Amino acid sequence: MLTQPANSNETADKSADAQRCVIIGAGPAGLTAAHELLEQGHRAIVLEADHQVGGISRTVEYKGFRFDIGGHRFFSKVEMVRDWWDRMMPDDFLVRPRLSRILYDDKFFDYPLKPLNALRSLGLLESIRIGISFVTIKLFPYREEDSFEQWVSNRFGRRLYEIFFKTYTEKVWGMPCSEISADWAAQRIKDLDLLTAVRTAFLGNRGSDGKVVTSLIEEFNYPRLGPGMMWERVTEVIEQRGCPVEFGNRVERVNHSDGRVRSVTARTDEGSREVFGSNFISTMPICDLFEALDPPPPEDALQAARDLRYRDFLTVGLILACSDPFPDNWIYIHSDRVRVGRIQNFKAWSPEMVPDPSKSCIGLEYFVQENDDLWSMADDDLIALGAQESASLGLIRTEDVIDGVVIRMPKAYPVYDRDYQKRLDVIRAYLEGLPNLQLVGRNGQHRYNNQDHSMVTAIYAARNIAGADYDVWGVNVEEEYHEETSASQSNGASGERLVPQRLEESRAARVLRDAFARYDAIALGFALAIPTAFGLFAATAILLIKGGPAVGANLTLLSNYIVGFQVSWAGAFIVLVEAGVLGFGFGWAMAKLINAVVGWQERALIRRLERHLVFEALDKKVS
Amino acid sequence: MIGHAVARLRASVMAVVFGLTSGTGLFVATTWLVIRGGEQVGLTLGLLRNYLPGYSVTWPGAFLGFFYAAVVGGVVGWVIAFIYNKIVARRSND
Ligand SMILES: Cc1cc2nc3c(=O)[nH]c(=O)nc-3n(C[C@H](O)[C@H](O)[C@H](O)COP(=O)(O)OP(=O)(O)OC[C@H]3O[C@@H](n4cnc5c(N)ncnc54)[C@H](O)[C@@H]3O)c2cc1C
Repeated sequence: MLTQPANSNETADKSADAQRCVIIGAGPAGLTAAHELLEQGHRAIVLEADHQVGGISRTVEYKGFRFDIGGHRFFSKVEMVRDWWDRMMPDDFLVRPRLSRILYDDKFFDYPLKPLNALRSLGLLESIRIGISFVTIKLFPYREEDSFEQWVSNRFGRRLYEIFFKTYTEKVWGMPCSEISADWAAQRIKDLDLLTAVRTAFLGNRGSDGKVVTSLIEEFNYPRLGPGMMWERVTEVIEQRGCPVEFGNRVERVNHSDGRVRSVTARTDEGSREVFGSNFISTMPICDLFEALDPPPPEDALQAARDLRYRDFLTVGLILACSDPFPDNWIYIHSDRVRVGRIQNFKAWSPEMVPDPSKSCIGLEYFVQENDDLWSMADDDLIALGAQESASLGLIRTEDVIDGVVIRMPKAYPVYDRDYQKRLDVIRAYLEGLPNLQLVGRNGQHRYNNQDHSMVTAIYAARNIAGADYDVWGVNVEEEYHEETSASQSNGASGERLVPQRLEESRAARVLRDAFARYDAIALGFALAIPTAFGLFAATAILLIKGGPAVGANLTLLSNYIVGFQVSWAGAFIVLVEAGVLGFGFGWAMAKLINAVVGWQERALIRRLERHLVFEALDKKVS
Repeated sequence: MIGHAVARLRASVMAVVFGLTSGTGLFVATTWLVIRGGEQVGLTLGLLRNYLPGYSVTWPGAFLGFFYAAVVGGVVGWVIAFIYNKIVARRSND
């Protein structure tokens, strides 16, 4: 017997059941934590509010057709996760080609953006506007890069930002880009700027090591029957090994005393039940967890949790009487004529997502707020809206729609607004007083994480219970994370680092940044151009003013380098321009070179420090 | 919060470094020619007197040249730093 009735007496707390870990949520993080605990020889129980596993990564089946909550690609830079997936499902992964495009102004654009394709579709005039806005922002960038708008504009120029980032991002997040924190952009599109994109267009997609990066952009792994297949498989495995996954158990109270969580109270169809444990891992949204804490946390922590914002999500699944509506896996809808944000074509993900090859199923994704007009709309009306919008975009014919289903997913996206980080700091400070409660996963940590990072946090939490000392909050904090990086390039999550100290680290990072400050190439260019140009102009002018028989015979030798130069007034102006250009080029190149060397030294130092930290930690463990 | 700090140039340091380097450079170039000697010492270098009144390729000229080049070099170094810092400040102002 693994559970106890709510009013069971204190002795139950002392029973064997209390020596296990209670995991809240059977999404990727919760199930992974359970699996890892079993691997470490511990016992666990998973409580799931819903009647299906997988959380946001579930696959919903409707009349034999399968729908994801958004399409879920299985990609990761974390080797441990890739191995884990392969071990769990050795035979059921498909390697799928990727095609995704942006639909803007009735034209398709490749995504990831390919400059040549984009410029061709945009036309000459728009391309010139983009060029001008790019040069302008390079000369006069935003000094602060706090918001998404500033971050993206600084890298791509305002015009490109407006066309390719603003509309869609605002659809997804439901707020102006000026209010979205730059962290999100930094994580998702780090190191990619217009120049990199243009270079990629001409030279192919190469990493800094010169290797061609193709894997994650052009193809991805996907379970035959959708992501839910993975999590159903994991559930089977852990249940076989004695870890129950109990559905219809919504945790509503987290009971704690003397700095430890003692039990949770879950609401079920039959009433409520209290489940005891020695350790607790929560993947439920932080705001719900803090409301559930009993006794409640101090007002500031509770308020911080209440103020965390989310974006909700609904998919209108349409079953179509045609075998192939469009070739893409998904299409981003940048048009503001329609409310749909993205459209998935599930058959392009896996042919087995449809039971009948003559039919297909698509998912129209609406980014919404719980209880707004779309969220509250009747399912039939939503299906009619989805059919009408996709037909108006020219993607399907309304008469092909034979059936539909609506899937609502509350809190699909943790929102990174300006203050979320401060709120998380308050929340984490409070949680330090409850060491046997660990928060992992996407909503568990209010992190815009993919499955892999949710899983890494869960694995670390489970290992902590077995005696390790990982900082679960350190995973995916500052780690380079974008699809354009080759899978083999990095060990992935920053959580691979042993016990990174977030605060210390950021202070150290600041010191490093100052110590390895970079030169501004444009400024150094001008700084050398102006004295060089005016110096040589003055040298010529002085000789001309002084006059004499053979004026400036020696200075004229400069014509070897300055085309058209002679010691004359015309020559003085020629040298002014040409020496200016040469001086600029020299200063610019010098700054770039110095920066490259400084960057190289900085990376070398960081690598040395990281190695040192790892050895130090290993030494500690060995001794 | 993102990216690197942008380095600034310290104008006084630039002035001293450019001044000393230029002064010493011209001093060494002049004395080198004087020591080597010969028929017509430093014909070409001597043309600098067009810009530096009183300069000649002689021992006293070497010291005067040091002074002149140090001043000009110092001013150039200071100007480079000044312009650089102004542009950096302007570019990160918006
Ligand atoms: C549109 C979209 C597309 C995505 N695409 C990808 C992709 O391509 N690749 C990828 O790797 N990731 C993708 N993700 C991210 C991925 O879905 C998440 O990272 C992952 O599901 C997070 O796992 P989790 O276990 O942390 O949380 P969840 O999946 O949210 O699971 C949490 C579980 O906890 C349960 N729960 C909540 N509250 C309680 C409670 N009080 N009591 C009991 N149970 C509770 C929930 O019912 C749920 O089952 C996508 C996400 C979205 C929204």
